[in-house]
Amino acid sequence: MKNRTVGAGATVAIVLAVGLTSAVEAQRGAAPQRGAAPARPPAPQAAAGYNGPRTPDRKPDLNGIWQAVTTAHWNLEAHSASEGVPAGMSVVDGGAIPYQPAALAQRNENFKNRMTADPLRKCYLPGVPRATYLPFPFEITQTPGHIGIAYEFAHGFRTIFMDATPHLEDLDFWMGDARGRWEGDTLVIDTVSLGDKTWFDQAGNFHSDALKVVERFTPTDATHINYEATMDDAKVFTRPWKINLILYRRMEKNLELLDYECAEHVYEKLFKQSAGKP
Amino acid sequence: MMFRFFGLLSLALLVPAVAAAQQGGAAPPAGRGAAPAAPANYPPYTTPVSSYVPPRTPDGQPDISGLYVAIPLPRSVETPVAPMANRPANRANGEFSYSLNERPKLPEGAIVRPAGVDPPDGKIPLKPEALAKRKEIIANQEKVEHLDGRVLCLSPGVPRSTIPAPVVGYQIFQKPGYVVIFYEQSHLYRTIPLDGRPALDPAIRKAMGVSRGHWEGNSLVVEVTNFTNNLENNWVIGAVSATPGIPAESLTTGHGIPHSDQYRVTERYTPIDANTIHYEAKITDEKVFTQPWTVAWYAFAKAPKDYVPVEYACFEGNEKNLFLMTNTDISGIRVNVP
Repeated sequence: MKNRTVGAGATVAIVLAVGLTSAVEAQRGAAPQRGAAPARPPAPQAAAGYNGPRTPDRKPDLNGIWQAVTTAHWNLEAHSASEGVPAGMSVVDGGAIPYQPAALAQRNENFKNRMTADPLRKCYLPGVPRATYLPFPFEITQTPGHIGIAYEFAHGFRTIFMDATPHLEDLDFWMGDARGRWEGDTLVIDTVSLGDKTWFDQAGNFHSDALKVVERFTPTDATHINYEATMDDAKVFTRPWKINLILYRRMEKNLELLDYECAEHVYEKLFKQSAGKP
Repeated sequence: MMFRFFGLLSLALLVPAVAAAQQGGAAPPAGRGAAPAAPANYPPYTTPVSSYVPPRTPDGQPDISGLYVAIPLPRSVETPVAPMANRPANRANGEFSYSLNERPKLPEGAIVRPAGVDPPDGKIPLKPEALAKRKEIIANQEKVEHLDGRVLCLSPGVPRSTIPAPVVGYQIFQKPGYVVIFYEQSHLYRTIPLDGRPALDPAIRKAMGVSRGHWEGNSLVVEVTNFTNNLENNWVIGAVSATPGIPAESLTTGHGIPHSDQYRVTERYTPIDANTIHYEAKITDEKVFTQPWTVAWYAFAKAPKDYVPVEYACFEGNEKNLFLMTNTDISGIRVNVP
């Protein structure tokens, strides 16, 4: 265990980058580019496939609570059922993750040790893209300059900067450093600085600190998003690879995110161990 | 090693005692029932009246969205122990969990004013059992079962998550029917529906409570209920430590103030001008307090232009802190996840 914590970046260090652009301010101030004017430009041409609701700035309206229905969280690749784990088909394009040989050996070792080695079992933040397909809902809050994604698991969140704020340098984050843009009706998010501490699933699929993730959220109607994430990590994989899954809008009336305060459960165990006190 | 030591020091100062700040001096509080001549410790508290009219969001809410930083309370104990320039680069650092981001400079003109409190004697109206409980917590504050929940990296609840600490930025989002607040501290968030929906079943508990909001003029009023109380450590008001011997009813520190399943808060967020939000929290818990009580301060200042909120992952690196501070080893604990 010691290795893991003494090693790199269990933490996220944070230094304010100096001299960033004033893009944040630009968007925050009355968002002049979209203005208070009620005039609504026509939807972009690429929108042909999407006929769901739109925000005042004519982007697909992704506000709301979403959830993946998939076994990707247990294993991205095809797998039979095992105790507590439903069987599932691969969500990886082409079926298998293109590991380099040494990395494949590491993944197999991870798999053997998964009951203790999966960082999620220590209540660490899940990272990207794993946060998306945990068996917990997440909520999107969409504004022109920033998109907030709040995850029920361990109250993780990401702020996606849509306003040309540059990536921060030399820092690792459990949930990465995310910058987004719209390509037609597809929300594209580039995430870097993910460190090397998170896994992609419970089966030990992993990455290095060189990982870059590009996610594409393409809504197909008001209640479905086609979700793709491309993983690029030259230290671990032989080529970039992609997963595909569907995100479903949770439609229950008055649904809201609840808590999975994972750290509380660690302390519940701790206090139980310490002779029932308190 | 120096690094570790630094981590500990910082930790000790991480959470300002709400009212060490508010107290405005070392004079002992003039308590309820004290000699009438004794001056009150706090100015009489009244909700501020603001003539500022914020712009509207596309769906017609008063627009308070944006990035904010915490306004420090005057006389607070949160002075950084080392200037930023002297801090080692902390990429790839697993030694401790906190990001130790220096508070960004406040924008010019930010209001730093004394907080208000009601009752004005600054004594928390604790019931006798709650007073005894708090005495016990303060007297045994080094024990892990009484450690401040923030040292354990538990979610700090409300209003604590709005009490200034060295690393506090906020992001307020507004979308139709909702206000959403992201707290930089420990990546906490709250989604506040504005549609008048009922509170959740009391069987459902959340560390940050369940929020129901509405606008009263330009003030956002939020009723927060359904707080977690499964661990003794998750204090909804709090501080990392308390001076030994401090009176258990004192608000000079938030340390160890208990709460029950009845605990609830009424918050008011009032924009005072384009850059400042005044915050008020009225605290009610019939099982713990003899009467509701209120704390309030100018809490949010629009962040400087170059401010970029960043991740503050508390629990992920906290193992070592806990071990160093309390000899508590959580490194072997695993929890079941679905």
